[in-house]
Amino acid sequence: MQTFLDQVWIARWPLWDGFLLTIEIAISAIVLGTVVGCICGIQLLFGPAISRLLFRLYVDVMRGTPVLVLILAAFYIPSVVGISLNATQAGILALSLFAGAHIGELLRGALQAIPPGQAEAARSIGLTFPQTLTYVLLPQALRSALPPWINTGVELIKGSSLLSIIGVGELLLKTQEVIGRTFMTIEFYIFAGLLYLAANISLDQLGKMIERRVQGR
Amino acid sequence: MLNKTIKFVAGIGLCALGLLSAQAASAQSKLQEVLSRGKLIVGTGSTNPPWHFRDEKGNLVGFDIEIAKIIAQGLFDDPTKIEFVNQASDARIPNIVTGKVDIACQFVTVTAARAQQVAFTVPYYREGVSLMLVSGGRYADYAALKAAGSKVTVSVLQNVFAEKMVHDALPDAKVDQFESVDLMYQALNSGRADAAATDSSSLRYYMKQNPGRYVDSGFSWNPQTYSCIVKQGDSDWLNFVNVAMREAMTGTTFPLYKAAYERWFGETPPEPKIGFPSEFR
Repeated sequence: MQTFLDQVWIARWPLWDGFLLTIEIAISAIVLGTVVGCICGIQLLFGPAISRLLFRLYVDVMRGTPVLVLILAAFYIPSVVGISLNATQAGILALSLFAGAHIGELLRGALQAIPPGQAEAARSIGLTFPQTLTYVLLPQALRSALPPWINTGVELIKGSSLLSIIGVGELLLKTQEVIGRTFMTIEFYIFAGLLYLAANISLDQLGKMIERRVQGR
Repeated sequence: MLNKTIKFVAGIGLCALGLLSAQAASAQSKLQEVLSRGKLIVGTGSTNPPWHFRDEKGNLVGFDIEIAKIIAQGLFDDPTKIEFVNQASDARIPNIVTGKVDIACQFVTVTAARAQQVAFTVPYYREGVSLMLVSGGRYADYAALKAAGSKVTVSVLQNVFAEKMVHDALPDAKVDQFESVDLMYQALNSGRADAAATDSSSLRYYMKQNPGRYVDSGFSWNPQTYSCIVKQGDSDWLNFVNVAMREAMTGTTFPLYKAAYERWFGETPPEPKIGFPSEFR
């Protein structure tokens, strides 16, 4: 145990860097994914037919493909057509597209769950469609979409570990590097597991806090 | 309308020009590309000592890294002008084929099947499997292990071929497979296994880390050749890399290769024989 703690101390900075990168990747993906997802969710319900079809296709392809395959595709396909993404960029791209599809779908669900009377009432008092969306529909939808949205964030933190495959120095790869040097396989994997757990529990608690604030009025 | 048409045609013309210049750039050798870029992009891993791994300070080190530095030394007279791209083992060939890296030095085993997809450089190491024993233990060397027959237990890393691999050298030995390197070595330390069988380079490195505790059985088998890989179809680049690597093993830059070999394998490689070039003998 003592030697393990010594090794953790020696490896503290690489592990810390890896942990930070994991968090950065997850945050970037959830921010970009939320932007894509909001556009996607609104288009899926209210967009013109062609746009509905394209976004439906996007959502189904993203949700029907393993994240690992998305990551490998984002890493290799752009370089075939001459766009050079580094591993971290490719990884964020893949996770954002993945998150965008999930958030789009959950926002569509949340919007659809609002009773149609709400939109009708908004129209009858003379609100335009953008106004209806901003003042009536989205505030209600966002409230019910919050728990699954946090869930997507948790999925992204866990999913970021797959980026180690394409050589992104996030927490898992940094852990594997330390194991490569110290041969302490089980100890360091448990250690990394605890760090992921801590990050996810924190995110979960943050989500619960926001939930309480938006619901309790 | 006319204005739009002109813009459209001009746009297409620009695209075509772009494609043409891209074509011209790709017709140029990788060697020129690397020289004008001012750094070498090397694909390698970061989790396998003594080949490519991170030291306690987080720097990439190992024998593969030293080979990359020898090539950078030849290009720029400066071994630090390298950008390492971290890649998993199964990304070695795809990253070469899609042009993500200039060269990969990541203990790539030379096989004819792989040579259909990428170009191999000259080899820089011949890997094998060796047996490591606790010094002063029950068995002194390979002959003693073999003579003991089925009384011997050998620890190996879990692997589909592990059983056969051990039996090629010790036909009657019991084989204990372990999921990780530390468990495999622990089995040897605790006496649960009489010998550990794994890559010769890993054993050499491990013995260098723990001087006096272990001995090599003196027998190695399962040869496999390690080379760097580059993209096919660029003979100038392949030739340059070959020259840089060959001269590190036989010529002016031998001290670099020798220092790397001693550092990571704890042994001195044979000195190039002065006189007639031995590779033509």
